[in-house]
This record gives sequence, structure tokens and C-alpha cells, in this order.
Amino acid sequence: MAAQPLTGADTVIEVNGVGIEFYRSRRRKLSLREMVLRRESTAPTETFWALDDVSFTVTRGDAVGLVGSNGGGKSTLLRTVAGVLIPDTGTVDVRQGVAPLIELTGGFLGELTARENVYLTAGLHGLSKEQVDERFEEIVDFAGPQVRQGIDMPFRHFSSGMQVRLGFAVITTLDEPIILVDEVLAVGDKDFREKCYLRMEKLLESGRTLFLVSHSEADLRRFCTRGLYLKSGRLVGDGPIEDIIEAYNDAPAT
Amino acid sequence: MLKRYRLIWERRAILDTLVRRDLRVRYARSWLGYLWTIIDPLSMALIYFVVFALIFKRPDAGYHPYFLFLVIGLLVWQWFNASINETSRALLAEAKLVRSTNLPRELWVIRVVLAKGLEFLLSLPVLVVIALIYMITGTTHLNWRLIMFPFAIVLQAFLQLGIGMLLAPTTVLADDTIRVVRIFLRMLFYATPIIYALNLVNGWAAHLFWLNPLSGIMEMYRAGFFPESVARGPIVTSIIISVGFFIWGAYTFARLERAVLKEI
Repeated sequence: MAAQPLTGADTVIEVNGVGIEFYRSRRRKLSLREMVLRRESTAPTETFWALDDVSFTVTRGDAVGLVGSNGGGKSTLLRTVAGVLIPDTGTVDVRQGVAPLIELTGGFLGELTARENVYLTAGLHGLSKEQVDERFEEIVDFAGPQVRQGIDMPFRHFSSGMQVRLGFAVITTLDEPIILVDEVLAVGDKDFREKCYLRMEKLLESGRTLFLVSHSEADLRRFCTRGLYLKSGRLVGDGPIEDIIEAYNDAPAT
Repeated sequence: MLKRYRLIWERRAILDTLVRRDLRVRYARSWLGYLWTIIDPLSMALIYFVVFALIFKRPDAGYHPYFLFLVIGLLVWQWFNASINETSRALLAEAKLVRSTNLPRELWVIRVVLAKGLEFLLSLPVLVVIALIYMITGTTHLNWRLIMFPFAIVLQAFLQLGIGMLLAPTTVLADDTIRVVRIFLRMLFYATPIIYALNLVNGWAAHLFWLNPLSGIMEMYRAGFFPESVARGPIVTSIIISVGFFIWGAYTFARLERAVLKEI
């Protein structure tokens, strides 16, 4: 699973020279005048590159693990591929639909019942009402008996664990061929985690492309065949997952 | 720019989902939810009616019947006020969804204007009932200019979309925006012919009102209900200004999108 030629027919993700610049201060200070009138900000603000000239391609069916220390740019890269960040330099070309397992419960509203929430969240990700009807039983089954009991209760009465379960169940029933996972596997109890793992393996077997951010070597080894090693926003390694994990472990702590 | 809007059009099913969600949340807690959208403008109309028509004895501040005049103005204002208030928070309020779903970001603004617009349409039966009462008593006679009413709705929607697309990203990048918006809306309420008629304003000040796109929009809404002549000038400027706001808003939104996504 080494880097593929750039023009491979099966290329589903092509990231080319991507850079993302963040402001070091929590919030960039801009006045209304500057924004509306297209002036350059007068306040000098320190910036850093969360991603710097990152290039790689992913082919259909690849299972890619992102490796690196905190602040290395893993989540930033994942969000860029998901299309919820726009790069400052370079291009990101994602040729198939994406199911992002990021902020799992983001689409849920506390006032509505769990049932309504399932329909709404699935709808936001492009499923029609009929498609949700078909999958509804499967979704609730997966989320577990506690969720089934409270399916017509307002969602805010759910424990955070139950909320995440339902979120995971909804997103993983989407048909999208690319799956992005940002450390969500760390939540939930042991049984549920195992259930999530099995679901992910099933998805991988059916030829989905996976992008996984994790600090757990066991997870990375279990799901991924290829690793990308990010260090201070730069891509410093791209190869078989074993080699990449080894390289990461050997790297001097900075 | 056109490509963006084609993409939004392709995602209209999601827009439908979002608008339904908004309405469901609004009416989930109680079926009284619907009544509230009517009670608010009606009670305001009643207050202004008592103050101006009964206490100050100046029902000629607007057209006759003054109560009908007030109800139209206040229903329209309610849509405008709610749209601007909520579009300015549109991206912040849904930060989690904006962070996790790859949808054209304009949808978050459009959905607010549409959901509030639907509430506006749902409140129109009240206007119909009040107009009917005045028609039966022979005070009000509708005229053909009522056809301007739907055009006013479209124009107002464009105006609000434009302002919303300016404000939503601005609010994310500068937190003081919401405060400024609130003060500005309060001033605009009195600078708009809602509780008084545009034809009461004379001289140079009348031309100043042409700069307020809501002046023309109010003229269009009321034209079919009252015999008074309609001022064409403010209608023309309000069309130009509304479309201008829409284009300015669309470009500003696209330009600030990258910075907004980093901040949110």
C-alpha cells in the first residue's frame, strides 16, 4: 500500500500541497470595519501552519491510519478531507461521498425525541425518509435496548453514552464509500466498543475507504494497512502501518 | 458563484429537513407555539393602536383603518426582525453541525430566512380575518394592487438573505456584532414606516426613507389594502438595494468562509 501514482483510476482522495494556517491567539481580532471593507487586519498576529505542504493520494479500499503527537495536525487533516475546513494552499479532491464520524451528536437536538433525531440527522447526511424507514430498526438495534426503550423520549434525557451510540449507529448506516473516524471509538463501554469494531470491520470488508485518527496502536493495527505520520503539520511518513507506528515510537519526544 | 448556488439547489432536500426541524422544535414544547407567533404582533398592534389612536388621538398617523395598517406593518417587521436576529447567529448556533457536515454553508442562513418566512405565511390568516372584518363593515375595499403582496415577500426574502449572509460570518469573527445588530434593529424599527405612513414624511427626509429598503417593501404589502397612492420611488430603490445586499452578502460569505471554518 505504498503511494499510488497520482492519476490512478481508483484514486478517491487526492491531497496536493495542502497547507492550513491558524492564528495562534484564540481569536483573531478584527473590527467590523476591517471585515466589511476588505482591509488587511492592522493588528500583527502570530500564525502557525497546522498543515504544511501535505500531499498524498488514497485509493479505493485503503484503510489509512493517521499517526502523530497531539497538535501534529491529524484532526485538521481529517476535517480538511471531510470538507469542513478549506485549505489556504493546495487542493483537496475527494471524489466520493464521505461519512464523517466527527462530532457524532452534533446534529441531535435535545428537545426532540430520539426517533425524530434519527430522521433529521440521517436526512442531513442525505438519506430520504424512505431510506431511513428501511434502516430504522437496524439503527435502533445497534444502539442497544436502552436506546430502544427511550426512543420516543426527548433526546436530552439520554446519557451521553447512549447519545453517542445512536450517533454512531446513524452515521455508520450511511452508504458513503469513505469513512472518517476521529477517535470516537474511545467512547462507550467495552461491549459497545467491540460492537463498533465489528461494524467497522464489516464496512471495511465491503470495500469502504477508511481514514482513522487514533492514539491506540491496537486500533491502528487492527483496522489500518497504511499509515500517515504527521509531525508539526508536515507529512513525515507514508507506508505500511507497522513501519509508521515504529517510526513514531522511535521518534524523539519533542 | 453560480456553481455554489447550483450545489445549494441540489441540496434543497436537506434545506427542507432543516426547515422542518426548526418548525418542529418551535412547536414541540406546546401546540401553543403557533399562537405565540400571532399573539406577539397582535399585542404590539394593540399597544400602538391604544397609544396613537386612543391616547394621542392621531389614528391618521397611518392609513384608515389604523389597526389593519399596524397589523400588516408589524407582521412584516416580525419576519424581518426574527430573520436578522437569527441569521446573525446562524453559524454560531449550529457550530457543531457546521463543524461536522460538509454542506454548502449558505444553507444555514437560507434555512433561517425560510423557516421564519414560513411562520410569517402561517400568521397571514390573522391578517385575512382582520381584513375581512373591516371589509364586512365597509371600511376596507381591496384593490388590484394586492398582486404586489407576493412580490413583496420575495423581495423581503432576498433582502434578508443578503443581510444574513453578511452578518452570519461577521458574527463568528467579531463577537460584538450581535450587540450592534440589536441596537441597529431597534433604531430601524422607528426609521421604517410601520406605525406611521410614508406619506407623512415630507421634504428631504422623504428621500432619506428611499434608502431604507423596507420603506418600499411596506408600500408594496399595503398597496392592495388601502386606496392611498403608492410611492414608486422607494419601491424602485428597495428592489435595487435588496438585490445589492444579496450580491454583497453572497460574495462576503464566500470570502469569509475559510476564516469562519477555522474559528468555529
